Amino acid sequence: MATALKSQAGAKRKATNRRPRFRFTPYLFLAPALIWYLCFLVYPMYQSLTISFMDWDGLSANIRFIGLENYRRIFFEDETARRALWNNILWTLGTLLIPTTIGLMLAVALDRKLRGRTVLRALFYGPAVLPLVAVGMIWAWMYNPQFGFINYVLKAVGLGFLARGWLSVFETALPATFLTAVWGGVGFPMVLYLAALQAIPQEQYEAAKMDGANGRQLFWKITLPWLREANVIVFSLAVINSFKTFDLIYTMTYGGPGRITQVLGTWMYFHAFQYYNAGYGAAIAWVIAIITLVMAIPYIQRMSRD
Amino acid sequence: MTEDMESLAGSVANKDMKTDASMAQKSTSMKAQERLTNTVLYILLIGMAVVWLLPFVIIVLTSVRSMGDLINNGVFAWPEQIVLANFERAWNIGNFSTYFRNSLILIILKVPLGIVIASLAAFPLAKMQFRFSGVIFVFFLIGLAIPIHVTLTPLLVMMKQLGIQGTLAALIPPYVVFGLPFQIFVMRGFFRTVPSELLEAARLDGATEWGNFWRILMPLSAPALATLFIIDALATWNELLMALVLISSNESRTVPVGLLQFQGQFSSQYTQLMAGVLISITPIILLYVFLQRYMVSGLTAGALKE
Repeated sequence: MATALKSQAGAKRKATNRRPRFRFTPYLFLAPALIWYLCFLVYPMYQSLTISFMDWDGLSANIRFIGLENYRRIFFEDETARRALWNNILWTLGTLLIPTTIGLMLAVALDRKLRGRTVLRALFYGPAVLPLVAVGMIWAWMYNPQFGFINYVLKAVGLGFLARGWLSVFETALPATFLTAVWGGVGFPMVLYLAALQAIPQEQYEAAKMDGANGRQLFWKITLPWLREANVIVFSLAVINSFKTFDLIYTMTYGGPGRITQVLGTWMYFHAFQYYNAGYGAAIAWVIAIITLVMAIPYIQRMSRD
Repeated sequence: MTEDMESLAGSVANKDMKTDASMAQKSTSMKAQERLTNTVLYILLIGMAVVWLLPFVIIVLTSVRSMGDLINNGVFAWPEQIVLANFERAWNIGNFSTYFRNSLILIILKVPLGIVIASLAAFPLAKMQFRFSGVIFVFFLIGLAIPIHVTLTPLLVMMKQLGIQGTLAALIPPYVVFGLPFQIFVMRGFFRTVPSELLEAARLDGATEWGNFWRILMPLSAPALATLFIIDALATWNELLMALVLISSNESRTVPVGLLQFQGQFSSQYTQLMAGVLISITPIILLYVFLQRYMVSGLTAGALKE
């Protein structure tokens, strides 16, 4: 009798649970995060979108609606903005190509049972944990025209004619800054690929080897297909982070020489906080945001999948 | 493709005819080949390791010598005399004690606050069924792709209105918000691995959801919480752009902003400059050496899904 009642009650509870009714408790737990998120992220975003349609210095009460004028200027008038966008695109392509490939090769190499692989992994990942300001300062010193290590080596091996002020010459300023990013940027793809490699069932390799597959076939036919998931993440993050680039450029070149190494992140900063063009700065920031949000769609889809 | 199939079929047919002797011969030749591959790999890896290590060697060599020694003997020569005064001068004149204090205060206040808010939100997203759970989760995930740039001007205005612009307190709300998406994602993933029966049993014993959260979920999540703490502390220590915009006085500067200030002051005092850089990265390097495993595994756990 008692058990019958209990099971009936249980069935009833289950039924009410299944019916989609409003439950209050989840929202109590979500409230702090949601409120925080709305106040300090969503609301500022909405405000800066509004500001991006204005002509405003960021300080005075003098504010004027100018519609899409700021956006028009970015794409059709301001040569530096276009240069900055182009630099971001180059930076993105470079990041997709170089640190990603090096990271993958390191992961494949360090996935083997080599002695000292833990130390090597730690070393290659190491620069990724340092503040980019410090990384930029270290490499600015490496590139120093008079006493820097790179020119020192070039002179020592008889290639002194190649020595130059790497960060102050138009042709080399951006590539030199980018190489610094490579030094700090191989670690992340490496550890992601390592994690993905470790998830590959070893039997697949064994079976393929029994069938006489060689190393190259193993890589292209087994390893790479298994890395698809990791690739999506590495590529998406490479694009997103490339368009957010700020610290290295700001520390190493300050956008110079001239304005040759400006990227959207620094150009936005200069306008919003140094030239008192808050409206224009906000428009550049929104261009960055739209690009990163669109590029993040496959990434977010993967992250939210159960 | 068809060629592959043919060769595959061929190898299957061949295998049956192979004698034991030829198999053994093949395996020794494979071993020799593997040894060769490993040797070549080692040479490449060690070459790369040297390149990756060099910047660290250079900053140490630069910071422990006098300026005259550097100019006379070049950056790669062994110092004539080990000069530790550079560190003392950098620490004192460079105001590093203030910057360290500020960054530490920020970490102590911000990191636990952010992680608790994120965990509270992750609980219903992981363990309760309610109508908008999927939408809210994606809403938080989108934050991963939002560039900080797009909130800067409005946050500056907001902090002015709150009367905390320029102080450390101004950094706490945005730092918390930009940590939330990743932390909610990781904690939700971790909470889902906790068996629901544990919570169900506690509920039958009269525990509230609040009690379940603090007495069951949080203690069981200690490893994830520790990892998040380390990653978030690191991100807080390294962040530049937000601090650059919201902090104005020397008294409130964090380490990266302080480093930039220091770079401006000591632009040609290379030995002291590198001493300052070394001071600023030493705590991170020590942390990394001891806690490397947590940091790296946490990052991959966040980015890769099982």
